[in-house]
Amino acid sequence: MTATGFFTDTSVCIGCKACEVACKQWNQLPADGNFFSGRSYDNTIHLEATTWRHVAFVERSLQLSGQITARPFSWLLMSDVCKHCKRAGCLEACPTGAIVRTEFESVYVQPDVCNGCGYCVVCCPFGVINRREDDGRAWKCTLCYDRQKTGGEPACAKACPTDSITFGKLDELREIARKRLELLHSRGVHEAYLYGMTDDDQPGTGGLHAFFLLLDRPEAYNLPPEPAVPTKGVGASWGTMGVAAAGMLVAAVAAVRSVEGGKK
Amino acid sequence: MSQALTSGLKIGREMDPDLAMLTGEGAQQRVKQAEPDAGSIVPLWQRISSRPAESLPDYYRLPLLKEPVWIWSVPAYFYLGGVAGGCAVLAAALPGKRRFDALASWCRLLACAGVTVGPALLTWDLGKMTRFLNMLRVFRPSSPMSVGSWSLAGTGMLATLSLLLGKKAPSSVRYGTALGGVMVAGYTGVLLGNTANPLWLEKRRLLPPLFISSAIASTAGALELLPLNLHEEKVVQRFGMVGKVGEAAAMVAMERRTPANKEAVYGFEKGRGGLLWNAAKVALVAGVVLDLIPAKSSTRRKASGLLTTLGAICLRYALLETGKDAAREPQAVIGPQRRRMQGGE
Repeated sequence: MTATGFFTDTSVCIGCKACEVACKQWNQLPADGNFFSGRSYDNTIHLEATTWRHVAFVERSLQLSGQITARPFSWLLMSDVCKHCKRAGCLEACPTGAIVRTEFESVYVQPDVCNGCGYCVVCCPFGVINRREDDGRAWKCTLCYDRQKTGGEPACAKACPTDSITFGKLDELREIARKRLELLHSRGVHEAYLYGMTDDDQPGTGGLHAFFLLLDRPEAYNLPPEPAVPTKGVGASWGTMGVAAAGMLVAAVAAVRSVEGGKK
Repeated sequence: MSQALTSGLKIGREMDPDLAMLTGEGAQQRVKQAEPDAGSIVPLWQRISSRPAESLPDYYRLPLLKEPVWIWSVPAYFYLGGVAGGCAVLAAALPGKRRFDALASWCRLLACAGVTVGPALLTWDLGKMTRFLNMLRVFRPSSPMSVGSWSLAGTGMLATLSLLLGKKAPSSVRYGTALGGVMVAGYTGVLLGNTANPLWLEKRRLLPPLFISSAIASTAGALELLPLNLHEEKVVQRFGMVGKVGEAAAMVAMERRTPANKEAVYGFEKGRGGLLWNAAKVALVAGVVLDLIPAKSSTRRKASGLLTTLGAICLRYALLETGKDAAREPQAVIGPQRRRMQGGE
């Protein structure tokens, strides 16, 4: 099977939240209640165990290039989702094997295996996956594994009215993204760039299967500027542990010997 | 609708199961309240200070990462696992002489107790406790938690065998328990270092030595509370002193802030994490001071043991709390990554 994924082009997102609704409906996720964040039109706040698509509203008194307004004001909109990293922190951390890579090369949590240890929660460099308290298990976007198995496209991409969310084969998506970026640059939107499309863009994760076209620095959208899978460089931790462990054994023997004076 | 709610079947979903079937991927999620409540979202808002959004590039000061979801039983296990590991090592190092018999049997008992109660505490934290055996469903070397689960299971068996066989345990069992004990005492440091949490990630090389040296100190602290003869007391005290000095050094290094990690390493000074961290420091130093008083008295020894134990427990809780603080602060994630990018360019 070829790898599939999302290309989310934030330059055409209109913030309608149809993706959020479609995701909730298709996956029959529980409601989060009614909240008023008081900061922008974003009352979903973040990706959660029960929220697998989240539209960010970056509302600022700032003028974007090519924009004409009476006073500086702009909105950046982005539909955020699990990135289905090529090297996924959650997958590499999962001790039960509940988190697997599917035939579509997406990252999937098997709810019938997950025992809710919570390790994936701290290992995701994007803060996507979470454990739902009353359910006890970890949940996140499945890239609509059930729909893909029957040849369908994920609910959010299907519902997106502006095709800001494009679903497809990863190779084709990259081609579409490159062309779109070229077009935007030729129109003078020089701040546009692709976030995490390939290994070169984001060596820490080996590239994302759900990548983005962004119009400002990643942190403006609450994305990490340079995320890395935690297992990268963890050899150093095992190394210092080895040294300390040897020290512990030596300390025990030395403590006994010093009292016994080394006699047998 | 009210009928569907009172039936208790699909509460919180406002859907009558007679009208429609719930078969979606998320349909299995259990919900407690009929009226959906804030979940984890409201507390999140309450904890966030409001600050002008323009000053720093972030998203309304909202956390970028998720906080650790672990409850009190996890740091409690970190402590117990440390004691078990240290005891297993000490039991193997003691010569089979009669004057060390009491200490050796205490060590075997504590080692066995630690690696049996420890997994129970870990299971208590699981979202699905009945699935605790799934921990041994696969072996995943990339996951310190998987490595730790297998070490814990193996050490549990060996430590039980050591306890049952007592003095007659073959050296393979004794040394095997000791090696397993070292793993149990140390892997927890790697486990915290192998996360995306900005504080733990910054200090990933330091956490394993901190855990191991604190394990030595906690072992000595626990043993000092027990009746010991003069020889045993000396062994325990000298072993413990190595750990306490190591722990103090590692704690000083943990606190060290560099321009590269200044946002991540700030939790040691404030909040609950800072309080616990300072309590750990005070208790550790007080224990060492008591140790250095030359007077021989079992009260002094026990007081020192108690302080060391308290310090070690506070340290484990402080690490979890400061980790939560760091995850809550978006700049702790963004700042170091930005500077790394600029440095690399």
